[in-house]
Amino acid sequence: MISKTLAPLPHPDRRQVLALLAACAGGPVLAQTDPAWSAIESRARGQTVYFNAWGGSERINAYIQWAGQELKARHGVTMEHVKVTDAADVVKRVRGERAAGRNQGGTVDAIWINGENFLAMKREGLLFGPFAEALPNFRYVDVVGKPTTRLDFAEPVEGMEAPWGMAQLTFFADRKRVPQPPESVAALLDFARRHPGRLSYPRPPDFHGTTFLKQALLEVGADRPALYQALKPESFERTTAPLWRWLDALHPLLWRNGRQFPQNAGALRQMMADGELLLALTFNPNEAANEIAARRLPDSVYSFQPRAGSVGNTHFIAIPFNAKAREGAQLLANLLLSPEAQARKADITIWGDPTVLAVEKLPPAQRALFSARSAPGQLEQSAPTLPEPHASWVDPLEREWLRRYGS
Amino acid sequence: MAAPLRQLSRSQAAWPAWLLGLLVVLPLVWVSWAAVAQGLDVSAWRSLFDDPQWVPAMLLSLWTGLLSTALAAGLAAWLLAGSFPGPAWNRLLRLLSPMLAVPHASFAIGLLFLIAPSGWLLRLLSPWATGLQEPPPWPTSQDPWGLGLVLVLVAKEVPFLLWTAAGQLQRPELARRWAQELQLAASMGYSSRQAWWRVLWPQLWPRMWGPLLAVLAYGLTVVDMALLVGPASPPTLSVLAWTWLNDADPAWQRQGVAAAWLLALMIAVTAALLWKLAGLVRWRHHWSAGDRGVLRQTTLAAGRMPAAAYPLLGLYLAVMLALLLGSMAGVWPFPDLWPHSFSLEAWGSVLASVGTVWTSLLLAFGASLSALLWSLAWLEWAPRAWDDALRRLLYLPLLLPSVLWVAGLHSLTLHWGMDAHWSGLWLAHALACLPYVLLTLGPAYLGFDARNAQLVASLGHGRWTMLARVKWPLLKASIASSFAVGFAVSVAQYLPTLYVGGGRFSTVTTEAVALASGGQRAIGAAYAWLQWLLPVLVFALAAWAGRPRRFRRRVRGMV
Repeated sequence: MISKTLAPLPHPDRRQVLALLAACAGGPVLAQTDPAWSAIESRARGQTVYFNAWGGSERINAYIQWAGQELKARHGVTMEHVKVTDAADVVKRVRGERAAGRNQGGTVDAIWINGENFLAMKREGLLFGPFAEALPNFRYVDVVGKPTTRLDFAEPVEGMEAPWGMAQLTFFADRKRVPQPPESVAALLDFARRHPGRLSYPRPPDFHGTTFLKQALLEVGADRPALYQALKPESFERTTAPLWRWLDALHPLLWRNGRQFPQNAGALRQMMADGELLLALTFNPNEAANEIAARRLPDSVYSFQPRAGSVGNTHFIAIPFNAKAREGAQLLANLLLSPEAQARKADITIWGDPTVLAVEKLPPAQRALFSARSAPGQLEQSAPTLPEPHASWVDPLEREWLRRYGS
Repeated sequence: MAAPLRQLSRSQAAWPAWLLGLLVVLPLVWVSWAAVAQGLDVSAWRSLFDDPQWVPAMLLSLWTGLLSTALAAGLAAWLLAGSFPGPAWNRLLRLLSPMLAVPHASFAIGLLFLIAPSGWLLRLLSPWATGLQEPPPWPTSQDPWGLGLVLVLVAKEVPFLLWTAAGQLQRPELARRWAQELQLAASMGYSSRQAWWRVLWPQLWPRMWGPLLAVLAYGLTVVDMALLVGPASPPTLSVLAWTWLNDADPAWQRQGVAAAWLLALMIAVTAALLWKLAGLVRWRHHWSAGDRGVLRQTTLAAGRMPAAAYPLLGLYLAVMLALLLGSMAGVWPFPDLWPHSFSLEAWGSVLASVGTVWTSLLLAFGASLSALLWSLAWLEWAPRAWDDALRRLLYLPLLLPSVLWVAGLHSLTLHWGMDAHWSGLWLAHALACLPYVLLTLGPAYLGFDARNAQLVASLGHGRWTMLARVKWPLLKASIASSFAVGFAVSVAQYLPTLYVGGGRFSTVTTEAVALASGGQRAIGAAYAWLQWLLPVLVFALAAWAGRPRRFRRRVRGMV
């Protein structure tokens, strides 16, 4: 970035050099003492942040509770975890509040979000911000190595949400029953031929199911550059044709002949654990390890990713435009980005959610927090991340799937 | 409604009834209007009709809704015919409340534990009898014909129908008259079953029209159970509406609203058709032709429940046991009968959520109590014509698809500044309890013998003395049980709690549903038990509070 800025300027004057130095080296120091940030801290004291986050996992709930205690101890801000089943519910609530003229004092202060929900809120102007890149802990975020921290489903984030964790499509299976994992969509088809009726995936528009479609779409040789741009309706048929051919071949070999699909990834996992299916899928590369630690899966379960790469994304914290405790919410987002919180989150015995930070750039003391403890079921060899196609592809993809296989 | 209103303006001392009516009619009308206003979008209807799923989904909804209603009504009538009047009926009544208290979704989860291809029933038989080492590819969970859904609906609705029938049969003068008529028919040579169908059923079922309609509406619009055990591809229309309404895209949401309105229309049309069908003269001929047929006098042993009651009870017992086991199961591969490891972790986190239990209890207590007080006042002071008019309106929350109702409620609380506040939550829950409380309390209350009041008046006492010393104590069983029903309804509220409460109030039910979305079997099952325990305790309390002991002793003393 520096060379790019400097190149057209053969003789930079002193002011420019100073400004650059300040931006590069002094940035973090400035952020710590930034008067604007101090003002946020003092205004936040005593606020209550209603954090609307998916509540479907005890372990994640326990982690969020820990974050709440830290927030109270460090900043005197109370956090309440509002357990939701779907972020779309929260989007709807905020939309309803605006429709009713509630432009301040809204009921949602922070929301766990990404993808199409973010796109909807951003387009409709339901978000507060930009705030994310002004958070003091944002300087540790690996924006180069993990480009999805700035590009949410190919939609520029523009500081309207703060990265929280990384996700990547991962499969898991029991080694006793699946000694050799199918590591590509072609291998998956062969695998299905050998084990008819023992494979399935969550029914789109469940987001795990849709992700499985995207993974297949990226792998079966569709026109990738087109997928990373906003959808042009006339090219949809041509781009997705290989996917439907592959699915047409796969579906008769699936559980219940591909005429029925489990509701969500949780149901899929339970069916795998009971022996009804052979493979399960997840967005958290450490989920299998986590479930083994919780003694819900046997320790012969292992994780794997498609060798050529699997769909990955980042999940974020956003603040609605009418949030009552927007300062407290920013403190929360900043806390969740701190090396301590990120390391704790990455710990498999606690949650196992991969960090958004560039661990190798952290000061040694903080880097040590991320000690790689290995646990049974953990992903051993991670594949490259394939960024999510642009969010505008999601809806047509789901509609076409439903038209073809939904009834 | 205009005619009764005019009548009333002429009567004097109507203001308490006015006030009471206003208290309920105002929010009801507001909520309904807000719900209606959402359905007026032509493009949403067009995109609904362009969707390939809506026809098969609607047919599935009709099939499951109608079949389950017919089976539930038939089974409930069968059970009634085999037990009323007599000790068997009383025995059955006592078993109703624990069955009613099982939340619908919990029941569906437990049933899946039993009948799924990897469920307990097949584990019981595998591999020694079936030879299965892996779960078979049988469509026993989420079967494409919706039979699992029908089974769950029937099992849940039979106790509800019996309960409302009990409300009618609790009216002392009716129960006495009907018992006499049955005796008369028996003396004319009809078997007890024939007598029941010819004499009692034609009188009882017009009074059951409301509850039956509620059952039909519920069967057509149910979401939570259909998500768990209903068919998946395509799902029922209510599930489709629900998934669309949950989408982040407003266009999908509008399509969901249109689908919800389609459901409401379906309810109206099927109800009207059934009403016509039920009024056909040929039924009356069939009932009153006088034909006794072959006389098979099946004398019921005193106190023995009809045979059909046992499978139902057995099913509930098995479901609750499966849930209990599921709440403690760790790794549990097929075909092992028992889990490899047991864990109390799920129960630990249930215990850790004492806060949600308190919220649930306080909310349910407050909502049910206010619904009860309102109902008592309304039944006491409102003229009958008003009551009839209001009943029609009160059925709205039962008949409107819940998603529409909730959208209306949310808009009301937002406009009245009650959202994310306990007052809004209380209003939402009280409105949800009200129809059920009034439904359970109404028959006994309106059937109260007016001569009692005349007697008290003739002794020189005022109305309050009559109410506090005679009428309410005499009706305390009905009062206590209607309170318990309201309590159970409030505990089970999910969507209104989430929306109106702004997510700030977590109850046992919101917690259970949130955790269920993660597909964690043990914790889901443990919460299902907790959701059952709360209302069961209140039902038990109600039974204790409503026990007629004191009254009986006094009567004996007088005789």
